[in-house]
Amino acid sequence: MNKRQTRLFAVGSTALAALVFLGLTIDSHRQFGTLTHAENITPEVSRGQDVWHAKNCINCHTLFGEGAYYAPDLTKITTLRGTPYLTAFLHEPAKFYSEEKHRRLMPNPNLSDVQIADVIAFLDWVSKVDNQGWPPRPILVAGTSIPGMDLSAAQQAHGARGNDGIGAQPAAGSKDPIALGQGYFGSVSPPCSACHSIAPNVNLAGPSLAGLATRVETLLKSSDYKGSATDVVSYIKESIEKPNIYVVPGSMYSANGQSFMPNTFAKVLTSEQIDDIAAFLATLK
Amino acid sequence: MRYRSQSVAYWYFAVAMLLFGLQLAFGMLSAIKYLGPDPLINVLPFDKTKVIHTNLLIVWVLTGFMGATYWLVPEESRGELHSTRLAYVQLGLWVAMGLGAVVSYLFGWGTGNKLLEQPLPCKLAIVACMLIFLYNVGMTIRKAGRFTTTEAVLLLGIGSAAVLYLPALIHYHNYTVAIFYRWWTIHLWVEGVWEMIQGSFLAYLLIRLSGADREVMEKWLYVIVGLVFIAGILGTAHHYYWVGVPSYWLGIGSVFSALEPVALLAMAIYAYNAMRRSGLAHPNVLALHWTLGSAIFTLFGAGLLGLAHTMPSVNKWTHGTLITAMHGHAAFYGAYVMIVLAMISYTLPEISRERSERGSSIGYWAFWLQVTGMFGMTLSFAAAGIGQVYLERILGLGYLDTQLKIQVHFLMLIATATMFVVGAGLFIWDFFRRAPNFQLSETSETDAPAIGLRTAPEPAPLR
Repeated sequence: MNKRQTRLFAVGSTALAALVFLGLTIDSHRQFGTLTHAENITPEVSRGQDVWHAKNCINCHTLFGEGAYYAPDLTKITTLRGTPYLTAFLHEPAKFYSEEKHRRLMPNPNLSDVQIADVIAFLDWVSKVDNQGWPPRPILVAGTSIPGMDLSAAQQAHGARGNDGIGAQPAAGSKDPIALGQGYFGSVSPPCSACHSIAPNVNLAGPSLAGLATRVETLLKSSDYKGSATDVVSYIKESIEKPNIYVVPGSMYSANGQSFMPNTFAKVLTSEQIDDIAAFLATLK
Repeated sequence: MRYRSQSVAYWYFAVAMLLFGLQLAFGMLSAIKYLGPDPLINVLPFDKTKVIHTNLLIVWVLTGFMGATYWLVPEESRGELHSTRLAYVQLGLWVAMGLGAVVSYLFGWGTGNKLLEQPLPCKLAIVACMLIFLYNVGMTIRKAGRFTTTEAVLLLGIGSAAVLYLPALIHYHNYTVAIFYRWWTIHLWVEGVWEMIQGSFLAYLLIRLSGADREVMEKWLYVIVGLVFIAGILGTAHHYYWVGVPSYWLGIGSVFSALEPVALLAMAIYAYNAMRRSGLAHPNVLALHWTLGSAIFTLFGAGLLGLAHTMPSVNKWTHGTLITAMHGHAAFYGAYVMIVLAMISYTLPEISRERSERGSSIGYWAFWLQVTGMFGMTLSFAAAGIGQVYLERILGLGYLDTQLKIQVHFLMLIATATMFVVGAGLFIWDFFRRAPNFQLSETSETDAPAIGLRTAPEPAPLR
C-alpha cells in the first residue's frame, strides 16, 4: 500500500462509519418518543430533571448506570421505594443512614417540598424508560437477598442466624406455602428483602421482621391496634395489601400516618402469593 | 527550539503542570472519601471533588495538546507562528475558563450534566478558545506554505473536537436524548479525535526520536486514523447500552467496540517497529520512555480493559460499577496524560536551562513511580469492581453493604495513588526547577525531508 491508498482508506472508512452513524441517529430519533414515553415528560418531570442537574446528583449517584460510583444507582429507585419514603428521605437523609455505620452519607440536599415531588416524578419517569430491562436484577440500596449476609459481624460470629435460607428458592415441586413464601420474600418485585431483614435488630429501609409473630400477638391484644385483623396471618396480609391501615408509631418508617412501604403489592401479587408470604412471615417468632 | 514563537509552548505546559497537580489533589480527596466518614461532608462533599477532578483532567490535557501543537506546527511547517499574542490571549482566556469552572463547582453552579458540567459562560469561552486556536494554527500553516500529513491529521483532530463540542451547548428536554448527545462530545473526543491527536503526536515524536522515515510513518498514520474511526465512531454505541435507545445499539456496540483495540494495537506495533528499525539513536531516552509507554499503556488501559466489559452480556452486570473507574483511569492516563508528558519531556531540554538531553534521574523516578502507581490503582479499582459486581449485582447484596465489604481495596487504591502522586509531583517539580530558556538552537533538521510545497524561506538562524 502506498500513502495515497492509505489516505483513501482513512477518508473512506471514516466517511462510511460517519454515514452509518448518522443514519442510525436519525432512526433513533424516530424511536426516542416511544422508548422513553416522551408523552409522560410533564412539566413536573422537567422541573425534576432541573433539580437533578442543579444538585449535581450525577457526581455521586448513577442513573441508567451513568454517573459517579459513590452512591447507589437510582434508575429503578421508585419501584423499590415508595413516594412517602423517598419524600421523608430527601427531607433528611441522615435520619435513615448512619455515616458511622455505612462510612458515607448523603448530605442534605435542602430541597423544598415541591422540588422533592418534582425530582421523584423525574425518577419515576426514568424508571419506566424502556432500557432493555437493565438492571437484570434489582440493585438494592442496602439489605440483601443472600442468606446470612444481612447479619452483623457479631451476629454471624455468635451463630444467631435468625431463619436460614432467606432468598433461597423453594425445592423443586415444593407446594409448602412457607417454603414458597420464603422464596417470594426475596424474588417478588420489589423484593421484600430490599427493605426488610429477618435478622434481629437489622433495620434497613423497613424494620427487621425478626420476631414478627410475637410482636403482632402482643399488638393485637393491646388497645392501640385499630385495624380489622384478628390473627397474625391476617394482620400480615393486611399490612402487605394496605400498609396504611395500621402504622406502627415512630418516624423511621412512616410520616403523617403514611407508611413508607409501597402500596402496590395488592396489585402486583396474586392473593396466593400474599398468603404464602404471610405464612412464611408468621413463622418468625 | 528552532523558532522563536515555539516558546509559547512552555507557558502552556507550565499551566498544564499546575492544573495536573490540582487535579491530583482533588483526586486524592475523592479517594479518601471512599473510606469515610467524611469530615468535609457539608463543605466539600464527594460530588464537588469528583467533578473538579474530572474537569481539571480534561482542561489540563487539552492545555497540553494546545501547547504541544504550538510547538509542533512551527517545526513541521518551518515558519514562525502566525501570532504569539493571539496564543497568549487564548491561554489567558483558557486559564480563566478553567479556574472559573472550578470556582463555580465549589459554589454549586455547575450544570450537573456529567462531564459537561461547565456553566454556559465557560462553555462559550471554550468555543472561543478553540476558534482562536484553529485560526492561529491554520494561518501559520498557510503563511509557511508547508502542510505535512502529521499536521493535517492533528488539525482535523482539533477542528473536529471543536465541532463535536457544539451539541454540548444545547439543553435537551428528554434525559435520554441528552445522554445520546453527551457521548457525541465525550466519546467522539476521547475515542475519536483525541486519538487522532495522540496519533499525530506519536508520529511526530517517532519521526524525531527514532529518525524513522517520514513517508512510512505518515502512511501508517493514515491506516491508524482509518481504524480509529471505523471502530471509534460506531463504537459510541457502547455508551448507548441500557439508557433508553433502540436495541440495535447493543449489537453495534459489541462488534465495533471490540474492534477498538485493533486500532490501539496497530498504534503500539507502529511505535515499537519504528523504534526497532532505527534503534534508540536519539539521546532523549526519557521522552522515548513516555512515547512508547503511552502506546503500550493505551493498549492495556483503553484497549484490553475496555474490551473486558464491552460485551452487552458482560456489561449488563458491570455497567455503572467501579469497573468503569478502572477502565477510565488506565485509559485516560495511557492515551492522553502520557502522550502530553512525552511531548513535554521531548521539548523540555530545548526550552529550559541546564538540562541534560538524556533526562534526569528525577525524570526516570517520575516515570516509573507514575506508571507503577497507576497500574496499582487500576488493579485496586479492578479488585473493588469485581467484588462489587459479584456481591451487589449478581448476589444482590445492597450497595451500601457491598461498599463496606470492599473497603480494603480502597486502602490499596489510596496507597497506590500516593505512589502515583509522588511520581507526578516529581515530574512537576522537575519541570519547574529549571528556569525557561528560549534561545534558538542551530541544530540541523534531523527530520527526513518531507514532501509538500515549501514556499516559505527558512528563517535565518539567530545568534
